Amino acid sequence: MLKTLIVDAQKCSGCRSCENYCALKHGGLCNPARGRIHVVKWEQEGIFVPINCRRCEKPACEQVCPKHATYRNFDTGALEVDAARCIGCLNCVSACPFGATFVDPESGEVLKCDLCDGDPTCVKVCPTGALTFEDLSKEAYLKLIACADQIPLLVREAIGRQE
Amino acid sequence: MYGWVGKILKVDLTEGKISMEPTEAYVDEYIGGRGLGVKLIYDNYKPGTGALEPGNPLLFNTGPLSGTAMPGSGRVDVTALSPMSNLRAKSNFGAYWGPELKFNGFDHLLITGKAEKPCYLWIHDGKVEIRPAEHLWGQDTHETQKLIQQELGDPEIKVVCIGPAGENLVRFACLISETGDAAGRTGMGAVMGSKNLKAVAVRGTGSVRVAHPEKFLELSIQVNREVRESPAYQELSTWGVARGVQMMYQMGFFPVGYFEDVCVDEICQKYAAPAYVEQHQLKNVGCFNCPGRCMNFLSVPGLGKGATSCEPFSGFTGAVWNLDMDTFWEATLLVNKLGIDCTETSASIGLLMELFHEGIITEKETDGIPMARGSKEAILTTIRKIAAREGYGELLAQGQKAFASQIGPAAVEKLDLVKGLAPHAYEFRSFHGTALMQAVGHRGDPLPLRGSLLEVDWNHAPEWFQQVAKEQFGSEEAAIPTSYEGKAMSAVISEHLERVPDNLGICKWVYGLFAYQDVNMALRLFNLVTGKDWDMAQLLKVSERVRNLERMFDVRQGLTRKDDDLPKKFFEVPLSRGKFAGEVLDRAKFEKMKDEYYEIRGWNKETGIPTREKLVELGLEAVADEVLN
Repeated sequence: MLKTLIVDAQKCSGCRSCENYCALKHGGLCNPARGRIHVVKWEQEGIFVPINCRRCEKPACEQVCPKHATYRNFDTGALEVDAARCIGCLNCVSACPFGATFVDPESGEVLKCDLCDGDPTCVKVCPTGALTFEDLSKEAYLKLIACADQIPLLVREAIGRQE
Repeated sequence: MYGWVGKILKVDLTEGKISMEPTEAYVDEYIGGRGLGVKLIYDNYKPGTGALEPGNPLLFNTGPLSGTAMPGSGRVDVTALSPMSNLRAKSNFGAYWGPELKFNGFDHLLITGKAEKPCYLWIHDGKVEIRPAEHLWGQDTHETQKLIQQELGDPEIKVVCIGPAGENLVRFACLISETGDAAGRTGMGAVMGSKNLKAVAVRGTGSVRVAHPEKFLELSIQVNREVRESPAYQELSTWGVARGVQMMYQMGFFPVGYFEDVCVDEICQKYAAPAYVEQHQLKNVGCFNCPGRCMNFLSVPGLGKGATSCEPFSGFTGAVWNLDMDTFWEATLLVNKLGIDCTETSASIGLLMELFHEGIITEKETDGIPMARGSKEAILTTIRKIAAREGYGELLAQGQKAFASQIGPAAVEKLDLVKGLAPHAYEFRSFHGTALMQAVGHRGDPLPLRGSLLEVDWNHAPEWFQQVAKEQFGSEEAAIPTSYEGKAMSAVISEHLERVPDNLGICKWVYGLFAYQDVNMALRLFNLVTGKDWDMAQLLKVSERVRNLERMFDVRQGLTRKDDDLPKKFFEVPLSRGKFAGEVLDRAKFEKMKDEYYEIRGWNKETGIPTREKLVELGLEAVADEVLN
């Protein structure tokens, strides 16, 4: 059964384990800047928002790719990048409405969450339950939406806007 | 290299000169972190240089495991000559700054000289800039971090900075990163302030390379899981230390007031930290890459937000006779924003309250503010005045001794100091191993040491922990708080174990001490990251070398056996209540523990100085030549 990664930003403690373990898993080295997930942090407010691929139904990243390098892996639901086809135009990075497509600062390679082929490392090490990997169900879908709804509220709180 | 990122960055602020040196030559003997920091301070400090003079080197030390994907990899050791003790300073902070330094390709940062005008360092992707900071001078630590992030246009920059207290050279000013991660003790903020250096901002996107990434990943995920399953972790990540401190008060491990007594009913019964945490806690937070979340992030309407760890929970409650938690929080935010060490500050306030209580001072000596026990006004005003060096704060900012000397001999009599610093507020009369570790210790930090923790644990299950003590330290007595037996061995072994995580650049509370209690795991992770094939004996040999070199630095500063002592109160005034009522340190037995300690260490018993044989055995012959002759 397909599973989905759900981000509950309210629970995040901002430790960035997800970023660093992700880089270790995919690149064999420790470097949060090479993670395929990223935590946006407002330390002085205690607000932390992990940003990860949302695996959109109509993915902008896939649609804007001139070389069809971005494609969906139907085994996991993840959107992956075929490095052999990618020309490094970074259209996918600019097009992602969530800022969830990243670039390796050294190699320029596009970094996209591939859900570790259906067994995400970040979920294994997330200490707070901010990241969970759940069977697709109505409940999971409602939770995903509820969690997503929280994010703009948290961001407004973090930057001190009350509307 | 794997683990280490290869370079020691040297910044001379007087000349504005930047240079680099490879780390590699040092790592087999000193590893990194605290250990290599000791080597660098020993080599770079010129005897006779004052702590606040430009020549005093300020060092930030990360280790081979800092920044790697494993629990507790966010720590940085800080050292210099301490303006408090005139010995080697030692401080350590967590959060996110250390890994970021490493992602720039620097294992260590060595700062010397003094800038002509206020400045800050900006280190990004291996490049180093010295930038003006006149507009930041006077800003508190929280604002400084925000302003630097805004100025450089990147909210992910990590900053460690001083507040007004450091600028004003308060001798126990500290460094702050994020809202409440402090390199608290031994006055590192004053050293940084004396260099006209407001902050060090870092941002890097480089990598820490790992020799065996697949095996390391697998083991590290396992450690992450095991840490999360440990009961101590679950307690800390939910409550921080709030409930633990309450337990310490009830057990009589934490004294009340200025080491006046223990188990004071009022404090034991009305201690309200757990309820306060429950009411105001937003969440718990921790350091880089750590599942542990030891710090409470509190948000109190009208007072403000921030993170705090252990010290203020006793420092601004029992130590100053305060039961009002709003005062505790206001004081905590204030010391963090102004950048002064919470431990030394609360002890200073405790001293004032003791002197006032005994009638040695009146409100005349404290600008008209009565230093009544637990007074909110006394606590908050004293903090502000110390940081600003205003009124009576001018003298207090130079340390408790300077203040007491001005008052007179009766006040000097009252001082409870160890090597010029406020000792950690643990009850030494009834916890004798803890007393020994505080007395002989480099800075005197008993609690993170395994042997001291065992004395605390003993209260929960005496027989079990006596067995543990027998296995780890060779004597059941080592766990029994009031015994004098087996403590010397327990102190030596504990000190060596403690330096392992410190040298590796990881959290000693996670490895070998509290949540996880497995220094062997630290070794396995070390080998997987660095590609070395070390055994425990080799790792502990480095610990011993580091301990001896630390000692020799201090010996070069004039330290001898007589400095390894505790305030006389602990030998003269017995505890009046609690489980350990009547306990007081026996001078002869205490000195005998020290004898044993020096003997096991291979140090001269009369002087407390390492012998030439010991130093030669550790490869420190040059040090012996320099200092012993």
